[in-house]
Parts: sequence; C-alpha cells; structure tokens
Amino acid sequence: MKWVRYTLPAAAVISAASPAYAVKYLSIEEAQKQAFPQATRFTEVQAGRVWKAEGAGRVAGFFVFDRVVGKHLYIDYAVALSPAGAVQRVEIMEYRESYGGEIRSPSWLAQFVGKTSGSALRINGDIRNISGATLSSTHVTEGVKRILATYGNHLR
Amino acid sequence: MAITSDSFRRARPLLGTFVEIEVAGAAEASMAAAVEAAFEAIADVHRLMSFHEADSDVSRLNREAALRPTAVHAWTFRVLKAATDLNRRSNGSFDIALAPVLQRLGPGSRDAIELLDEHAVRFHRPDVAIDLGGIAKGFAVDRALEVLRRFDIPCGIVNAGGDLATFGTNPHTINIRSPRNPGRIICSVEVANQALASSARRFDPFHAEDTMSSAVIDPGSLRPAHAVDGVSVRAPSCMIADALTKLVMICGTDAGELLEHYDAAALVIAPDGNLQITSTWHHAVHLAA
Repeated sequence: MKWVRYTLPAAAVISAASPAYAVKYLSIEEAQKQAFPQATRFTEVQAGRVWKAEGAGRVAGFFVFDRVVGKHLYIDYAVALSPAGAVQRVEIMEYRESYGGEIRSPSWLAQFVGKTSGSALRINGDIRNISGATLSSTHVTEGVKRILATYGNHLR
Repeated sequence: MAITSDSFRRARPLLGTFVEIEVAGAAEASMAAAVEAAFEAIADVHRLMSFHEADSDVSRLNREAALRPTAVHAWTFRVLKAATDLNRRSNGSFDIALAPVLQRLGPGSRDAIELLDEHAVRFHRPDVAIDLGGIAKGFAVDRALEVLRRFDIPCGIVNAGGDLATFGTNPHTINIRSPRNPGRIICSVEVANQALASSARRFDPFHAEDTMSSAVIDPGSLRPAHAVDGVSVRAPSCMIADALTKLVMICGTDAGELLEHYDAAALVIAPDGNLQITSTWHHAVHLAA
C-alpha cells in the first residue's frame, strides 16, 4: 500500500477562551417522558433535581437530573430509577465541550462548503461528528454511582 | 400518515465513552424504537465483553478458560475469532492477551487462545488474561448499525466516542482532532456506508512533552506504542477499523499490507505533525487550512 505525505500548515494560535460546542439532546420534560412513557404525572421531590413519576395510581420510578464536568465543561444527564431504586437508564441530555477557535471561523468552514452533499457540517450550526482519541465517560459513571448512593435507598 | 421528522439523535454513556446515535428519514416513533433497540445491542456487547464486570464473558474466560473449555456468547466468539486472526496476520502485534501487562503481572503470549466448537474457548497457559478493549467497541457499533437497518431506517450514524460507522445515501463529514491539541481539527473526511475509528497517544500539556503515553501497548516492547501520534482507519466494519487503529499505532506505516488485506485505508498523524494518508483514501480527506 502506498502512502501520500502532507505537510500541515503551522497551527494557528488557539485563544485561551475557546468557543464552546454543545449538543442538546433532550429537555427535562422530553427526557422524563422518554424514561417513563407510561407516567402521567411528575412530582418534584427535590427542586430541579428529583421527580417522582406516577401513572395509573402507581409509582413508576424516579427521575434524577444531574450534571458533571466532562473534559472541561458540564455534561447534563438524567438517571431513571425504578421504584426499588435500581438504575433503569442513563441518558445524556446536553453535552458541552470547549473547542479550538478555527471551528467557528467562517474562513475555515468555507473550504468545506460545496464539498459535502447533505453532510453534517453547517455554518452557524454545530460540528457534529468528531473522531480522535476516545472521550472518557468516567465522570458520568461516577455521577451515577453517587446518585445511587444518595437516592437509591431513600426515595421509594 | 406517519410524520417524518428531520433527524433523531440520542447519546448514552456506554463502553466507557459517550455513544451517540443519529438517524433520519423515518417516522419519529420508529426512529425512537430503532435507536432504543440499537442502544440495547450496545449495552449487550458491554455486558458480554467488559473487562471490569465480573459476570462478563471476558471475566469468565479469564477465571475459567485456563482450567477448562468455557462456552461464550456467539458475539464474543466472533470477536475472539477476528482478534485471533488479526494476531496471526500481524505476527503478534495485535494481541488481546496483554491484560497481564496492563495489570503489571507479566507478558502476554501468542497461540495461547484456542477456539473450539460450539463457541467454547480454552486458554493454554494459566497466566493468560484477555481484554477486548481494542476491538469490542467497534463490534458494538456494527451491531447497533445492524439493528437500525433491521428497523428499516434509511440512514444514520453510530459514534462511540470517535469509533463510528455510517449507513445510507448521504456521506457524513467527520472531523479529525489533533492528538496534541484536541481543540484543533486537522482535517475532515467523508464517510459513507463505512466505518471510521481513531486512536491517539495521550498528551498532557501539564507534563513534559515527552511523557505522553498511549493506551495501546506494543506486544514487542511491552511499552506504550509510540510509532505515530494518532491514526484514523476507514474500513468496511467498525470492528476491523477499531482493531486496525491499534496496529497502526504500533507498526506505523508498516501496517500497509494489513490495511490492504482488510480493504481498509488509514490516515496517520506523524510525530512531526505531518500527515500520511494511504493512496486509496487521500481524495476523501480535506485538510484544514
């Protein structure tokens, strides 16, 4: 197999305040409905953080909203707990990451315009698909453990 | 009539990273059901192949396969088959039996894993322990894609922290980060009906530039691989793309023949910051200005 070599231009100086990249997947209401589709009522147990889901006169479970720091910025996520306090699902609601300056620069983006048909790259939109070294979800996993330790035995 | 919405996008923490699934072109209810089933397939792979969960196939093999033939799930067997083939073809450079090195117990070994009939596995040395971390994530992405197709979803992408696969008519543009500066995108590639996986050395600007490590261990030296700074591999399946990134991290551009055998292409970020791209792929790569 033949390899073709490219020399990259020197890296532009990255400003200290990198713009943020964010993907919003779900609002709290949407995430609640998705986690407990059978529930008809969500009662706040702890303001802005814990809700009790009820439907057909029974407790369907608990919905816990939390945020942890990802690499640099917050990741919002929700944990759906069964009435017995077991984790039923963990869903990312909003993912944020600080980013290099070039991404939002129109001149950098302009080079891709017309080269992609129906591709995901958009000016004024977000940069959707990124590959590189694997991002770690350790902080979310630790957050879920903390939620279980805090609420797993106390809600019910 | 079903309402067709633009796209449906969800993310969950699985496989030690963030798995994002995005689909488009179908009714919202069927997209929601397909994405839910696809996440379940990924969670199944996680349960079967996690090194850290005590009741996974991998943990059972590490406890029992040196004592007696141990039966595993058909999926685990498929991954082991691919991994042992890769080990043979790469003369041992791809090795799933390096877990003892990662745990600082001693070296791994070749030909120590025997695959038997009826999905049974036997280890021929008591000190063998396997870790499918270098290949199972890609396999999970492939299974998720298979589920989405079975639900008749016309197009989509499954991205497990950078190891991804796409299907459908539209190409997806994937941005490749610089390993030394993750805030910088060095190029973008278009991927259609194929998989793309990336691997890179870890860079910590708070330490000296030379203390950069890698999650990939070179079986030859038993040290973190340092042939290249980072690599992205395009392949027909994400399992193969995932595994081949580890091989290129270890062998650098010498992995060319293996890439050719697996119908794969690669983009290598050299320690001097320059790129090397296989000639079969360079037309699809757009460098950042």
